[in-house]
Amino acid sequence: MSTREQKRRLELLQGTLDLLILRTLIFGPQHGQGIARAIGQTSDEELLVEHGALYPALQRLEARGWIAAKWGTSENNRKARFYALTAAGRKQLVRETTKWRRLATAIGRILGPEAEEG
Amino acid sequence: MFWRKRGLTDFSEEVKAHLELETERLKAQGLSEAEARAAAFRAFGNVTQAQERFYESGRWIWFDHLVQDVRFGLRQLRRSPGFTAVAVLTLALGIGANTVIFSAVYAVLLKPLPFKDSDRLVFIEKKNPPRGWVRNPISPAEILAWRNESGVFEDMAAFTQTSCVLTGMGEAEEDPCETVSNNLFPLLGVAPLRGRTFSADEDKAEGPRAAILSFGLWRRRFGADENVIGRAIELNGASYTVVGVMPANFSHLYATPYGTVPEIWVSGIALSPAHSWNDYFGIGRLKPGISLHQAEAQMDPVSVHIGEVHPDLRGWRAQLMSLRMMLSGDTRSALVVLMGAVIFVLLIACANVANLLLARGAGRAGEFAVRSALGASHARIVRQLLSESLVISLAGGVLGVWLASWGCKGLVALAPPSMLKSAPGLADGAADLRVLAFTLITMLATTFLFGLAPALQSARPHLTETLKEAGRSSLQSPRSRRFRSALVVSEIALAMVLLVGAGLMVRTLAQLSRVNLGINPAPVLTLRVPLSGERYKQPQAQAEFWRRVVTSVEALPGVESASVARGLPIGDWAGQFFTTYDQPNPPAGQVPDANYVVAGPGYFGALQIPLVRGRSFNEHDTQSATRVVIVNEQLARMYWPGKDPLGKQLRMGTATGRAPWLSVVGVVGNVLSQGPEWGFHAEVYVPYQQFPWVLSPEHLLVRTAGAVKPASMIHAVVQEVHRVDKDLPVTDIRTMEQVAREPMAQQRMMMALLGAFAGLALVLSALGIYSVLSYTVAQRTREIGVRVALGAQRGNVLRLVVGGGVRLAVLGIAMGMAAALALTRLMTDLLYGVRATDPLTFSAVSIVLGTASLLACYIPARRATMVDPMVALRYE
Repeated sequence: MSTREQKRRLELLQGTLDLLILRTLIFGPQHGQGIARAIGQTSDEELLVEHGALYPALQRLEARGWIAAKWGTSENNRKARFYALTAAGRKQLVRETTKWRRLATAIGRILGPEAEEG
Repeated sequence: MFWRKRGLTDFSEEVKAHLELETERLKAQGLSEAEARAAAFRAFGNVTQAQERFYESGRWIWFDHLVQDVRFGLRQLRRSPGFTAVAVLTLALGIGANTVIFSAVYAVLLKPLPFKDSDRLVFIEKKNPPRGWVRNPISPAEILAWRNESGVFEDMAAFTQTSCVLTGMGEAEEDPCETVSNNLFPLLGVAPLRGRTFSADEDKAEGPRAAILSFGLWRRRFGADENVIGRAIELNGASYTVVGVMPANFSHLYATPYGTVPEIWVSGIALSPAHSWNDYFGIGRLKPGISLHQAEAQMDPVSVHIGEVHPDLRGWRAQLMSLRMMLSGDTRSALVVLMGAVIFVLLIACANVANLLLARGAGRAGEFAVRSALGASHARIVRQLLSESLVISLAGGVLGVWLASWGCKGLVALAPPSMLKSAPGLADGAADLRVLAFTLITMLATTFLFGLAPALQSARPHLTETLKEAGRSSLQSPRSRRFRSALVVSEIALAMVLLVGAGLMVRTLAQLSRVNLGINPAPVLTLRVPLSGERYKQPQAQAEFWRRVVTSVEALPGVESASVARGLPIGDWAGQFFTTYDQPNPPAGQVPDANYVVAGPGYFGALQIPLVRGRSFNEHDTQSATRVVIVNEQLARMYWPGKDPLGKQLRMGTATGRAPWLSVVGVVGNVLSQGPEWGFHAEVYVPYQQFPWVLSPEHLLVRTAGAVKPASMIHAVVQEVHRVDKDLPVTDIRTMEQVAREPMAQQRMMMALLGAFAGLALVLSALGIYSVLSYTVAQRTREIGVRVALGAQRGNVLRLVVGGGVRLAVLGIAMGMAAALALTRLMTDLLYGVRATDPLTFSAVSIVLGTASLLACYIPARRATMVDPMVALRYE
């Protein structure tokens, strides 16, 4: 369909999408499209998030009580469903962030400095 | 999440909002409306999939799917009614047969006995291994010694079977009856419904005479009268006080294979260590932790001790059997074989339905390809197909249970009396909850058995291949062809086993009915008139009664002759010791024994037992004449080998007895008095008019003349008996044919059932071959067309198709034969005159199965030869 060259972007690791969503919401309530855009922008468009995949994740986080949702109005006056971090979600974010950092450090140590170039 | 919090529309709204926000953002970056919208959609990915995933995150989604799948399945099945009918009917027959046989297995072998700790209850008889005698009744001396001295029983009760004639309240009635020791009911842990059970005082010979009624008798003869307790009734001419009524299902539960289900229990067993007559059975409760073998071993020294006191009990040892074993008797092996057979039938049915499903699945490959192209997951398609299978097996199960309710009636009609007696619940077997649970489990199991493999196969379509070939019949993968062939081969193998089983039963029955019983039962009618009460106290009165009855019955038109006897020539065994004059002191434990028959003049004529030597009884063999006896050839051969038996002397009882000496005046042919399986025994016949030791005649035997059917004389004969004495009950009215057939009832049932199952298996497996071959032919139409176009002859084509079928059949028959060789050994107990590996049966069955397979091959093969090459080639 599209003839445009797609920029090669990184696929998300399993389980990291939840963490990114929680992290994004730390700056305040946001709707799905906003979250998608924020993840794209803050990662310099390096991370590939299929917008459709975002919603099951939001659904999951909401079911666990880490985020809460209600319908609201976007900055350009559109109806949208806004998600906000709950207290439990904040704790979960801290936990996950720590875990992720430790994991990243450990993997980095194993790979060594010269393997950094990709 | 345990409920769906949001509706799907709410979610769709959110997605819509997302897409609009994204479109606006992109427009703000300078894209056109259309470009922005397309990009937003692209970034989002598959909207429908997102919605589906949202929808599926609800917990009840599986139920949703199930409902959907079942609905869809129903629609699919309605679209192919032929397939559905065949599949449902096949399963219904399989499930129905399983339900019927399982209900019998449950009623006879599994249903817990309604007694306290019934696994510790044992039935006590005795055996004499050196002489090969087993399962003999026991004597009071043994009962008391074993109970008190062996130390293995918590308690032991005794009973003896008699018959009670109930008089003084309308028409006289004879009921099966038991004299029981007072501890029997507490030992079983069964309380009476009304009143009480017997007291220790009532056990004594001179104690108060008490009776307990069965629920049935209480209802039938006493109108369920609440005031029956304390009432006096007249049994065998003596007065008894009713002290209790037992609950409804009680009587049946310890019916022994020897007797009928008792209707009345009477007191006064009066066990004494001095009595050594063998007329009793024992029921004991073993102490906890003692096994049957341990108990028997500990009873042996006691038995030796008894033999020292009573020489006539020497050589006997206790023989114990769990109550359950005793009740199920020899029906156990029959039921195990039948259960195996119906499982085979069900497996064949499953294989057949699986085959149909595979063929159908291949035809639907296009449908599955489209569905998975549209995003249906592999698991979802498997589930869909399994749901269709579930619908089929549910329908089959419902129909099967309905069929089973008929089948159970058929089974009851076929079942031998011993099986019905030990399983009173047999008639309403299929209605039992546990049986229904079994059926349900069977149904679910079959769903997976026949549905899973086809579902897994069909759900993995070669997507592009199939879609490309849309409109053309899809190709069958070699793997699926091999699988279907394997199914057919196993069907034929299972059918082979069943057919061999049925064939062996047919041979057994043929052998049994060819056996010469030693009598001619065809023209004979039998009935029983128990004489009791004051009027017949004197043996002379009894003899006079019988003389008058025989005379008036013989005067009836259509009657050739009549006679009387104590016991019937087949099935009634009255073993007695005797002593010959030539060897008055046989070594202990080797006292001769024989079946003791009290008979009237004309007995041998009525039954057409050949008189080999000497004379028959006549009217002059009365009390004042010389005491005479007639023996059979077997006895003469055993005890006077090579000598003339006429004029020899013998007397009943052991050497120490005082019975009078009897002169042998005749020798008659042997009778298979225990049925064909047990061979000939020594028999002695004594004339009833000499009032021999024990017992007067009870049975009347009427031989009809010429073509008169014995059953047609029943009314006239009973009328003559009542003309002599209208107060006497006439019971057990049967033709001698019926009596003679009874020992074969079990084999007859097995033959009928195994035959039916094997027939079903034969049809199903033939259907299996047929469906596989016609499918293959349909698949290879083009190939065959090409062959014919290139000059292949009809014969070549025929050989091509039939060859494929024959290979399957031969393989199946060979495997089935191997399995049958291993399995028919389980049937050894049920066979007569034929070995479990009978080569005749095996080869005949192979021919039948082979022929059926060939026939099944022929139809698709013929269709293949009809293939018009032009049509076949144009078909592409």
